[in-house]
Amino acid sequence: MMRFSQLRVWLLVVAVVTVLALAACSSDETGGGEAEPDKITAWAWDPYFNIAALEIAKESYGNKLELDVIENAQDDIVQKLNTGLSSGSMKGMPNIVLIEDQRAQGFLQSYPDAFFPIDEYFNLDDFAPYKLEPTSFDGKQYGLPFDTGVTGLFFRTDYLKEAGYTKEDLTNITWERYIEIGKDVKAKTGKDMITLDPNDLGIIRVMIQSAGSWYMKEDGKTVNLVDNEPLRKAFENYKAMMEADFVKANSDWSQFIAAFNSGDVATVPSGNWIAPSIEAEESQAGKWAVAPIPKLDIEGSVNASNQGGSSFYVLNIPGKEKAAEFLGKTFGSNKDFYQNLVVEVGALGTYTPASDGEAYQTENEFFGGQSVISDFSKWMEEIPSVNYGLHTYAIEDILAAEMQNYLKGKSLDDVLADAQAQAEAQLK
Amino acid sequence: MSKVVKRANQPYTINLKSTGSRLKKNYIGWLFILIATAGICIFYFYPMVQALLLSFQSGMGANLEYVGLDNYVRLFKDPTFIAALRNTFIYLLIQVPLMIILALFLSVLLNNATLKFKGFFRTAIFLPCVTSLVAYAVLFKYLFGEKGLINQFLLNLSIISQPLNWLSDPLLAKITIIIAITWRWTGYNMIFYLSALQNIDKSMYEAAEIDGASSLQQFFYITVPMLKPIILFTSIISTIGTLQIFDEIMNITNGGPGNATLSISMYIYNLSFEYSPDFGYAATVSYVIVILVVLLSLIQFKVAGDKK
Repeated sequence: MMRFSQLRVWLLVVAVVTVLALAACSSDETGGGEAEPDKITAWAWDPYFNIAALEIAKESYGNKLELDVIENAQDDIVQKLNTGLSSGSMKGMPNIVLIEDQRAQGFLQSYPDAFFPIDEYFNLDDFAPYKLEPTSFDGKQYGLPFDTGVTGLFFRTDYLKEAGYTKEDLTNITWERYIEIGKDVKAKTGKDMITLDPNDLGIIRVMIQSAGSWYMKEDGKTVNLVDNEPLRKAFENYKAMMEADFVKANSDWSQFIAAFNSGDVATVPSGNWIAPSIEAEESQAGKWAVAPIPKLDIEGSVNASNQGGSSFYVLNIPGKEKAAEFLGKTFGSNKDFYQNLVVEVGALGTYTPASDGEAYQTENEFFGGQSVISDFSKWMEEIPSVNYGLHTYAIEDILAAEMQNYLKGKSLDDVLADAQAQAEAQLK
Repeated sequence: MSKVVKRANQPYTINLKSTGSRLKKNYIGWLFILIATAGICIFYFYPMVQALLLSFQSGMGANLEYVGLDNYVRLFKDPTFIAALRNTFIYLLIQVPLMIILALFLSVLLNNATLKFKGFFRTAIFLPCVTSLVAYAVLFKYLFGEKGLINQFLLNLSIISQPLNWLSDPLLAKITIIIAITWRWTGYNMIFYLSALQNIDKSMYEAAEIDGASSLQQFFYITVPMLKPIILFTSIISTIGTLQIFDEIMNITNGGPGNATLSISMYIYNLSFEYSPDFGYAATVSYVIVILVVLLSLIQFKVAGDKK
């Protein structure tokens, strides 16, 4: 009797422990023989932009594919990918994911087997070359380029006119000239020339890419700060702007938007994706125009650069061929689809054959009848190609801290040397 | 096991029966705590050990390899980590004492028997604690924005002549964070003191009054000593909380300007998700928090705890 009850208790104990242990340790055995799923999932972050683009792609694909687009904030996508991929289990991962170009190398190199090469599904030569470098790794193409971040100098024609400048005066200028004009505008109209977030060195990146330079050398690994002439120039320009007293500070996206929607600043040098936000303030219709981005006053710098932009990636899980084929047939080769994309969501792709299409020539009344899309796609082809490498954001945090010291009076040589030393120590 | 079985086979005696039932009772007792113990082991200790192992590895994303103590050596040469550590200690050294004193002060005020609308004041001061961390952080970000309420208020009172850059000046940004945490957590600590104050015998105050002790003396010689265990408890809790501070910094300043408000937890986040992921090094940095919490708690026990 007693033996029985003791045994029963022990059995129960063993059972409970086993269940708990199994529940905790059960791992997914992703067998090779898993069937192709009927549904393809995709992660993207902006319902009015990249998600809308996927929906249009689905339509132009004749709805032949059951595509489920899931909206996630960009930060969430980065987190979920990192935690998911590093766990080694691909469960819950999407078939298609949108990744920002400046982060792409980090993912491709951190999780080499997680992504599916898609070279065979589209013609690489059809895309702007600057877009291919950050989206490929080890000689294989992983990303299908989506939007460009081609930059332009958006400016208020009325303010500039008041200060005595025309569009020609702003076309193909250097940043030094831009600063002179800025001082003039501030003196004559009382308006600030630009709005900047001291935490975000986006404008520095725009400046250095126009000279084909980046925080890292071509290999994407060697820190390149101390002997980086374009970076040095960019820092000098940044400080000159701050000291010229025409910079309106902002500390987040909504303040950034408010700075030009309220009419407080005269110019916005930015990626083309800012256009919808500028156009959102309808009372300013006809008062804006876009000039090419200023360049650095050194050899090799051009009046074209890039800020932001992202590409689609296919994960190495069942359904990958289907997903890659879908991307290849839409974003990879469909010229008409790109016309729809421009008209319906204002997304400018980097597929060069699309640029002689009709929609690209449309004159934009908000920008005084300028063919904005056509101008952007022209500049896009001139963007110097750089390898963003792995550590853009890590280095940028170091630079942002050193920039504060530079503004406070530390010498530029020391600033860059210290930043270099810190970056080398941190990025082993 | 076989021993137990053998004993159970022996002839029935009163003595053995009681041993058997005691054993049985013990088994059932063990069974009850077993589930919790197993749960703690699997979900708490197992990840802790794994994290410790992880802290000896380094590499990007999935390409981790063992590097021995390299990560720990790297800590001392990493200026960003040192900046984060320094900031966290600035928060700790200024904010925790400030908050504890404020909470103690408020709780004594609110414990006053003659105070009217006591319930209202207590609720009002405790209310920040029920707000979500993210929601209040975003609110503070706007309050302290360039065109925020605080700047407008100071401008209208002519205390300042032009808006202060609360969020983009290194010193002001730290002050903003400290104000925010203090607002959020003072009420929480106050509640502990209020409940502890109920347990102090009124007759002690009466006796003190008869002996001619002033209210200040009563506070320092009766209230504070009586509250000592609670003060110790709240300062440990607050120390641990401040060492792990993340939400406020992430939402109000995002670590900036530069690294001026970066905290250790925020740096762990950056290492894992913002930069090229290095989970090994991130685990090493998290172990620094563990070590610091243990050390600081020990010091607090030694300094303030009972001698026994």
